[in-house]
Amino acid sequence: MLFNDYPFLLVFLPAALLIYRLADPYPHLRIGVQVALSLAFYAWGSPSFILLLVTSIAINWIASVIHGRVKWKALLTLVIGLDLAVLALFKYANFLLANLGLVLGTTLPALDIGLPLGISFFTFHHIMYLVDLKRGRAPLYTLDRYALYIAFFPQAIAGPLARWSEVMHQFGRQVYVPGWQRQFCIATCFIALGLFEKVVIADSIAHLLDPIYAQAASGPLASGDAWLAFCFSFQILFDFSGYSDIAIGLGLLFGVQLPYNFNAPLRSTSIQDFWQRWHITLMLFLRDYVFYPLVNLRLLPRRFLPVQFFGAMMITMALCGLWHGASWTFVLWGVLHGLALVACALWRRYGPDFPSWLGWALTVLFVLATGVIFRAGSVDAAWHVFAGLAQALPLARGQQLWPLMAAPLFAFLLPASQDIVAFFTRRPNVVMAGLLGVGILALLIQIGERGVHEFVYFQF
Amino acid sequence: MSSSISSSDASPGWGRCLAACIGTLALGAALIATLVMLVDPYDSGRFGAFGIVGVSDRNPWTANVSRARDPQFDSAILGNSTGQLLEPARLDEATGLRFVQLVAPGADPRGDLAILDFFAEHHQTIRALVISVDQPWCSNTVLPPPKDPFPYWLYEGGPLRHLGNLFTWAALDRSFQRIAIARGARRPVRADGYWNYEELWAPGAKHPTAAEPAKAAPFTGKVTDSFPYAGMLAAAIGKLPRDVSVVLVMPPTFYTIVPGSGSRDAAAHTACREAYRSIVSGRANSNLIDYRVDNALTRDPSNFVDLIHYRAAIARRIEQGIAASLRAGAAAEISF
Repeated sequence: MLFNDYPFLLVFLPAALLIYRLADPYPHLRIGVQVALSLAFYAWGSPSFILLLVTSIAINWIASVIHGRVKWKALLTLVIGLDLAVLALFKYANFLLANLGLVLGTTLPALDIGLPLGISFFTFHHIMYLVDLKRGRAPLYTLDRYALYIAFFPQAIAGPLARWSEVMHQFGRQVYVPGWQRQFCIATCFIALGLFEKVVIADSIAHLLDPIYAQAASGPLASGDAWLAFCFSFQILFDFSGYSDIAIGLGLLFGVQLPYNFNAPLRSTSIQDFWQRWHITLMLFLRDYVFYPLVNLRLLPRRFLPVQFFGAMMITMALCGLWHGASWTFVLWGVLHGLALVACALWRRYGPDFPSWLGWALTVLFVLATGVIFRAGSVDAAWHVFAGLAQALPLARGQQLWPLMAAPLFAFLLPASQDIVAFFTRRPNVVMAGLLGVGILALLIQIGERGVHEFVYFQF
Repeated sequence: MSSSISSSDASPGWGRCLAACIGTLALGAALIATLVMLVDPYDSGRFGAFGIVGVSDRNPWTANVSRARDPQFDSAILGNSTGQLLEPARLDEATGLRFVQLVAPGADPRGDLAILDFFAEHHQTIRALVISVDQPWCSNTVLPPPKDPFPYWLYEGGPLRHLGNLFTWAALDRSFQRIAIARGARRPVRADGYWNYEELWAPGAKHPTAAEPAKAAPFTGKVTDSFPYAGMLAAAIGKLPRDVSVVLVMPPTFYTIVPGSGSRDAAAHTACREAYRSIVSGRANSNLIDYRVDNALTRDPSNFVDLIHYRAAIARRIEQGIAASLRAGAAAEISF
C-alpha cells in the first residue's frame, strides 16, 4: 500500500483515523491500536514479510529486556549483528554471491529472495535503540511501545529515521485535545504538499526519464535526451521529499511529530551544507553510529588523526552508497560524495574564500552529475548519458519539458516544506483552507489519471 | 520541529479551516460524481440520466464501449489495428448485416476479448463476428500486460468500480465533450467506428522496403506449442448461440515477414491456424481465412503502410472474402 494510492488515501487512512478517534479517550488502548494499525498497513503492503517484522521486533525487545536484567552487553552486540545479518541476507546476499563468483571465476547461483518492505529502515531503528541502550543512554520500554517505534506506519517503510528519544515519549499521548484542529490543518498541508511533490513533479519527471534511462542501459542516447537524464536528482528530491512530507503529516494525524528529512538541499552552497539538508535523518544516523565511532577508534598515532578523520568520512559515504542498493554504482556514488566532502573540508582549511553563488553552482552540478550514476545502474549507462551531453538541448520537445523547468525553479527558489507549511498555518484562514481542499481534490484526480508510481526509496 | 508547528493553538478558527478544507474536498468530489453519473462520460450505459447519444472520443479503447452497446448494429469487427481498414458500410452492403468496427489498436487479445464480451452482453441478437487474428493471437504464452493498461474497468465490473475510475481528467474532459454534443456544439464521432488510417499515411507517402526475406533453417519436426489466446477465444465464442457466424481473419503482412516455407515459424503458423480453425469448424456460415501468404499482392510495397498494416486494395479483397464466408462458410471461394 502506497501513500499516494487510493486504497491508502480513501480506505486505510480514513478507517485508521476513525478507529484511533474511538480509541483516543482510553489511554491503555492508544498504543495497542496504533501498533495494530501499523501491522495491518505493513501486512497489506508486504504480507509475506509480516512475520519477519514481528519476529524482529520480538527478538530485539527480548534482548533489551534481558540486557536490562543481566547487563550483558555481548547479547546486544549479538542481536545487532543478527539484525545486520538479516539485512545482509535479504539485501546483499546476491550481490556478494555475484562478486564472489567473479573472484572465483565462476557463476554462483542467485538466491530467490525478495526484499522485505522497509527492512533497511526498521533495522536502523533497532540499531539506534540497542546501541544507545548498550551505551547506557536509553531506558527500557514496554513491548507495545517498542513495537510502535519500529512499526509506526507513517515512518516504517522509508523513514524518516526517527531516534527513539524523538518519538517514544510522544506515543500514547492523547491526540484529540484542545488545539487538535490546528495540528490536523498542519498535517493536511504536509500531506497535500507531499502529494504535489510526488504526484505532480516527481512522477511527471519519471514519465520523461524512465524511457531515457532504459535506452541508456542499452546504448547511446540521441536527440539531446541526455540533458533530461542529467536532471534525475530533481526527480529523487521531490519523490523522497514528497514521501517524507506525507509521512510527517500522517505522523501528526496520530499525535507524533516526526523529524524533518529535507531542508531545501539544492540551495546548498557547499557539499557539506548539502549533506546537512538532504536525507537529514540518515546522515545523522551515519554520523552518530558510523562516522563518530570510526573517528574515535584509536587506530593511528595522533599526528595522523586527519588521515583517520578523512578515511572515516570516505568509509561512511561509501557505506551510505551501499545502503542505497547492492550495486557498485551506488558505492561509486558514495565514494564520489566522500571525496567531495574531503575536498570541501580541505578547501575550507587551506583554500581561498569561495563566493557563495559559485559554491551553489558547483554543488548543484556535482549533485546532478552524481545523480546520473545513482540512477543509471551501470557505469556504461551513466557514460552514455554523459557522452550524450555533447548534443544540443532537446528544446523541440517544448511543453513536454515543463516538469524539468518547474522542478529546478521550486528546488532553487522555494524554502523547505516545513517553512512553507509554517508560513501558511500562522493564522487560520478559511479561504486558504478551501483552496487546499480544491488542491487535494485535484491531486486525487491526478492520481486517478496517471496511475500509481512507487516511491523511489521503497527499493532501499 | 518548527516552533510555529509544534505550538498549540486552540482558536476556533482552526476548526472552521478544517471544516472548510474537508467540506470543499467532499463537495467537489460529490459534484464530480454527480456530473459523471448524469453524463456518463464514456456512454457505457451504467449511468447517464441525461440520455446523451454518442461520444466525441477519438480513442477506440474507450470509445468502443459506446459503440459496442449501440442497438443499431448486430455484427462486429474485432481485433487490433490490423482490422482497422475493414469498412463496416461495405460489409453491410455485401451481407445485409449491420457491422460496427470495434478494433482496439495496440490492445493485446485480452482487451479484444473484453470488448467482445461487452458486445455480446449488450446484444440480444448477434448475427456475425469478424475477428482479426494477427500475430499476437498466435503467441504461445500469455503476453505481459502492455505498458498503457487497457481500460478493462470500462467493459467489466459493476457501477462502483466504474465510478471509481471516473475521477480522472480524461473522464471530466469527456463529460464536457458529451455536454457539448447535447448542446449541438460538437459532433459525435462516427457511430460505426470506421477510421481510414490512409488519411494519415496517404498512398505513396509511406510503405515498407522490399528486401529478400531472411533464410530460415529447414524444420521437419512437429510444433507442440499451445496457443492460450485460442483457448480464451474458444471460451468466449462458446458462450454465444450456435447461429452466430464467426469469421476469423489472419491478416496479410508484407511478404518479408511471412514465415518461409519449411521453416519452424511456418509450422508454428500452421499450428496456430489449425487451433483457431477448430473454433469455427462446425459453426454455420463461419470460416477461417489465412491471408498471411507470400503472393503478388503482399509483395507490392504500395499495398502496405508498414510491415503489418495493409492498404485499401487489400482491405477490399478481405471484405470480399468475409462476405463470401458469411454466405458459404468454409466452402467460400477466397480470391487473394
